[in-house]
Amino acid sequence: MITAILSQDLDIQTVTSAAWIGGAPMLCVTFGIILALLAEVIPTLAAARPLAFVGSLLAALFFELALITDPQGLIFQGTFRADSASSSWGALFVTAGLLSWLYSQRYYKLEAPFKPEHDILMLCSVLGMMLMAGAEDLLTFFIGLEVLSVPLYALASFRRVRNQSVEAGLRYFLLGAFAAGLFLYGAALIYAATGTFRLEELREVGIHSKLGIAGVALMASALFFKVSVFPFHFWVPDVYQGSPTPVTTFMSTGTKAAAFAFLFKIAFMLPESSAGTLAIISLLTMVVGNLGALVQTDLKRLLGYSAVAHAGTLLLAVTASLVGDPLPDGPLDAALYYMAAYVFTACGAFGLIATLEGDGERFTRIESLRGLGQRRPVLAGALSIFMLSLGGFPATGGFFGKYFVFSSTLRADMMFVSAIGVLLSVIALGYYLRIIMTMWMQPAKKDVPIPSAYRPSSSFATGMCVFFVFALGLAPGWFLDRLL
Amino acid sequence: MLTAMTFLPLVGAILIALTPGGAEALQRMLALLFTVVVAGLGITLYLGFDGSNPAAQQLVEHAWFSLPGTPHDIPVYFKLGVDGISILLVALTAVLMPLVVLSTKGHINKRVKEFMIWLLLMETGMLGVFLSMDLILFYFFWELSLIPLYFILGIWGGERRIYATTKFFLYTVAGSLLMMLGVIWLTWTLGTSDITELTGATAQLPGATQAWIFASFALGFSIKVPVLPFHTWLADAHTEAPTSGSVVLAGVLLKMGTYGLLRFGIGMFPEVALSAAPLFMGLGAIGIVYGAFLAWAQTDIKRLVACSSVSHLGFVVMGLFAMTQEGLRGSVIQMVNHGLSTGLLFLLVGMIYERRHTRDFEQYGGIASVMPIYAFFFVFAMLSSVGLPFLNGFVGEYLILLGTFKASPLWACVGVTGVIFGAVYLLMATRKLLFGPITVAANRKLQDLNGREVGLMIPLVLLCLWIGVRPNYFMDKTGASIDQIVERVDNLREARIEAMGSVPVLPTPVELDGVKLR
Repeated sequence: MITAILSQDLDIQTVTSAAWIGGAPMLCVTFGIILALLAEVIPTLAAARPLAFVGSLLAALFFELALITDPQGLIFQGTFRADSASSSWGALFVTAGLLSWLYSQRYYKLEAPFKPEHDILMLCSVLGMMLMAGAEDLLTFFIGLEVLSVPLYALASFRRVRNQSVEAGLRYFLLGAFAAGLFLYGAALIYAATGTFRLEELREVGIHSKLGIAGVALMASALFFKVSVFPFHFWVPDVYQGSPTPVTTFMSTGTKAAAFAFLFKIAFMLPESSAGTLAIISLLTMVVGNLGALVQTDLKRLLGYSAVAHAGTLLLAVTASLVGDPLPDGPLDAALYYMAAYVFTACGAFGLIATLEGDGERFTRIESLRGLGQRRPVLAGALSIFMLSLGGFPATGGFFGKYFVFSSTLRADMMFVSAIGVLLSVIALGYYLRIIMTMWMQPAKKDVPIPSAYRPSSSFATGMCVFFVFALGLAPGWFLDRLL
Repeated sequence: MLTAMTFLPLVGAILIALTPGGAEALQRMLALLFTVVVAGLGITLYLGFDGSNPAAQQLVEHAWFSLPGTPHDIPVYFKLGVDGISILLVALTAVLMPLVVLSTKGHINKRVKEFMIWLLLMETGMLGVFLSMDLILFYFFWELSLIPLYFILGIWGGERRIYATTKFFLYTVAGSLLMMLGVIWLTWTLGTSDITELTGATAQLPGATQAWIFASFALGFSIKVPVLPFHTWLADAHTEAPTSGSVVLAGVLLKMGTYGLLRFGIGMFPEVALSAAPLFMGLGAIGIVYGAFLAWAQTDIKRLVACSSVSHLGFVVMGLFAMTQEGLRGSVIQMVNHGLSTGLLFLLVGMIYERRHTRDFEQYGGIASVMPIYAFFFVFAMLSSVGLPFLNGFVGEYLILLGTFKASPLWACVGVTGVIFGAVYLLMATRKLLFGPITVAANRKLQDLNGREVGLMIPLVLLCLWIGVRPNYFMDKTGASIDQIVERVDNLREARIEAMGSVPVLPTPVELDGVKLR
């Protein structure tokens, strides 16, 4: 259908119609960025700013969803692949962007005048993610990585008056720059060993030399940094805690998804003998994340450590694809489902914290949730649902995410690893339940004010998150058939 | 009808959620109404159930989703059905719930609305577990049913509720997550998640695979029951739970474990179960005696009843793994018996606690002279729990011991001492509580039971009597399904005896391809 609409007059010689369609989501976002920038300069366009943001993302979402069923294959001279996987990931990035934007409405008080910049930076980041997920070329990926990261460095320290936020930005920047360097160095080594950046060609040649494998190791380390896998996770709790909560929302879901998307793409480069190492890294990540979260008193920090643990579970899916799942698409589909559930759950959870804390970052301590069940039952109910989904309980999306990932690892005959993995997720329940317990089972302290923040945009976003968490948990068939 | 039965409580819960916060009477009424309707459906289901047909009846089947698989996708169904293994437990759940709702009047006075919502959600979860005919659907309900109890224990529990709740939850979740791996593995290798198809197809799996999957299931269910080494969560959970929570926990939730052991352990993997039988019979028998000694040593009435649960469930586990017709029949009826008599005991303990706010034996004595009606019911419940002939407990215990004796005289002998110890601690408890002089002045002014309290216990008392006098009315419903399992087990036994060339008295443990079951 879209083919028909777009291919009529746009068939320019060098840019094929497939490229137009495959690149449509990115074009939409770029257009949104330009429009939003223009709105800053031209006063009459000021009203169009939110429209540019939401409109471009919705259009991008539409094209991504259409591309899932109508993949375009290799485009842009073989540097980008618009297939159903990259489009599914793309749809997740857009969703994460939209939800974070909704939660950021009226979140900033002091920084409110700079909100347009906030939105534009976020759009840039989404664009970078899309480029990362579809990249078929190491350099294209690198460009995507930088387009994603640089705006995020700025966003992390968006709250300039708070030392924590500035520190978070700086920390993220320094370590991120280091990771980018690692990636580039790795890519250079791979080029030296094989003479190409193209994944297509790398798949044919394979990586056999020690030089190339060293390159792959460096590249993987850079990606591990982005997905926050042990031992590259140390920045996560600090940055998640220090960044403004809407930015954390975006960072915890979008960035991780984008890096995982590419990690699946380059999994073929990893030597098969590294599967054991990868499994151990996954399990260690889960151990570190879960044990770290268990002792936290700050909600954002706790969710930061929980994000690390979830990255460990997802890395198990990557391991399964390396070991060899009898279903070739099994691990990727499982990871996509897991990530889809995680996007809605984590966005909802972080978003509710943003809603609660208002401008003052008051309600980020777990203690301050005491008695929330009585004071704000709907809000507390939603947060409980997100916690149960993070813990992987049935009727929520987290359950099937977990089910599919462990299906994949079991199919790959990783019995022992799977058993340890599920037992580690029992620890996770310890802290998710603590949050639920604090809200419903402990009376409120008198001196803690009743959180009064009510914003229509965040209520709408929370409603969407709850809806999709349940939809993913009750009707998995709908998503499996249409989206993956 | 099964769909309506399963989801009516959910509808009720949603309706109650919509009522204004203060309308407690309305919320209680709604909860009662919905549970009574479900009970009606349950009784109708029971009366219409054909006990001579071993297959699942009243099937409801809708496509739910497809799991990816080779060579074709694995369809997962929303499939409900009831057969001889589940019918009694379904009926028990349906009948028990309205009584539980009635019993809340005495001890649930804060946050009534939430309590009713959780109670109804729990009913949906429990019925879902018993009625599911699809493994993945079963697992879905199985984990879901944890959450309501978590809240019931955690919000309305006693002083150490948070500790007890967390312990209970983490214990059971650890078991059920390992069980999830078994579920995944089984559905993947056999390409179906339909329980009937799976039961028929498991024999073709290699022995080691069967053993591993059985182990993962057995672990999950054993924690739930709880079988001996996992019993520590139970006493804490029971002690801290509100009365109605205890009744549901003892009456139905623990049965999910024994039910699972029967349907998924023995029913699906008879070969492995046969090899593991001595272990489980042993754990059951030791559980009986150990539980009895634990109960003997308690000074807290509620903890005593909780420990007696461990002992009684030991009987059920022992009978199940005797894997004889008598043992299985006895175990199934004993599941119901335990629900009735322990439920009664928990209700009675709750009623005296509401009046005196202590559960210490030292504070009681001579209650019988002040509260004669209470004393009557307590003695009745106690005797039913001890297993007096013509009461329900006798039928179950007798059959279990008979069945176990056939399979393993040793463990039957150990188990039978449990009957004696059971009588000892229960009679002792009764003496301390009801008889002797009144030592504490506050006990002189105790009010006897009111109409509501008597009314809600009458159905349970009648059922106890009915099972005791006419057990066949109940056991006939379960007969055909159990005989089907027994037949399969007997064939396996014969095959084993032939293979060995001699006639062993005990089913000997066999190491399956180097996999030893714990």
